Amino acid sequence: MKTSKANLCICLAAIMVLAASPSRLSSETSPESATAGSGSATRWSLRVDRVQPGEIELAHSFQVATYENLLTELNKTHQFMRVFREGDRKAGDVSNLLVLKTTVVKYAQGSETRRAVTTFSGATKLSVRSQLVTREGKVVLDRTVSGNVRFFGSNLRATHNLARNIAKMIKESPWFGSEQPSATVTGRLTAANSRGGL
Amino acid sequence: MSRFFVFQNHKKSFFARQVASSLWLLLLCSSVAAWAQSAAPLARAPFSIRATHLLGFPNTKNNGNGDLTIKNDALRFEQGAKPVAEIKIASVQGVFLGSESKQVGGNLAKVGKAAAPYGGGRVVSLFAHKKYDSLTVEYADDDGGVHGAIFQLSKGEAENVRRELVARGASPGLRDDGSMEASTAEVSNENK
Repeated sequence: MKTSKANLCICLAAIMVLAASPSRLSSETSPESATAGSGSATRWSLRVDRVQPGEIELAHSFQVATYENLLTELNKTHQFMRVFREGDRKAGDVSNLLVLKTTVVKYAQGSETRRAVTTFSGATKLSVRSQLVTREGKVVLDRTVSGNVRFFGSNLRATHNLARNIAKMIKESPWFGSEQPSATVTGRLTAANSRGGL
Repeated sequence: MSRFFVFQNHKKSFFARQVASSLWLLLLCSSVAAWAQSAAPLARAPFSIRATHLLGFPNTKNNGNGDLTIKNDALRFEQGAKPVAEIKIASVQGVFLGSESKQVGGNLAKVGKAAAPYGGGRVVSLFAHKKYDSLTVEYADDDGGVHGAIFQLSKGEAENVRRELVARGASPGLRDDGSMEASTAEVSNENK
């Protein structure tokens, strides 16, 4: 009697293992299939160009910080197959390549001390025009995005917020959802202030 | 007559000796100068300075303190026991200086200032700031991709690093209009 019970338990355990294994297999493969099935977004790679100051006199540290933060934030979105830097020779071999061009349109120089003393003044504000351009030169996305730091954090924190907003704007862009390479999205996005420090 | 001839001959030999000795001295001086010139780059001592890495240097955590060192042909950032991060000076495409004022004390001071009654924290903030130099280095990786790293140094020290980098072959940086980037500080980020 005891042995039959034990056999029954073993059989049940074996059935459960067999039943569980396909689902586990499917869950292991699901991220890949999700990536493959997420539409045109994953087929594109992106090259991020250096930030152009335009006619604004902007410190090099701000330009470089925006560029580096953009690369970090865009990599975090997993929206693109690969994210290349400006000048990267490997980008030349990629077939579906978009280029992100960023030009500064507005910059308000703030002060961390003024922010700490008054809390209502001294905000650092940075606005840029972000354009996604295909290799052929067609602009598929054209937006003005802002980033600023109002309360806590150094002035360079504005570049982090700006980069995060640009990445968010690209991720939520209807152009990727529409899967229509002929569509062009233009607009303006203003967002975010900082409560953390850089 | 013959006496005059002998005197003339003696004068000529004296002149020749003088010319030869002058030439020998000139040769000696120039060779010493040439040796000093060729030896100078080899004898350049390592340069090290305390700095805070804000962002962009390879394999280095942001906002970390360490020693920024220029040794041989590399710019290195050393953080205690952590592995040394370095880039080749030859890959540096531009070195730019800036200055800014920051609040001192870190997060602990921020909390303290916020907790201080009757706006006492604001008064403290008014005096608790310090001016820093920022050093921005643009460099290329092996694939040609452009990187940028920003360091924060004590006031007046960034210019020394820049001078040392340029002396060792780093490009000081060119603006789009082709003019050489000013060796002095770029636009101040904050004029507090």
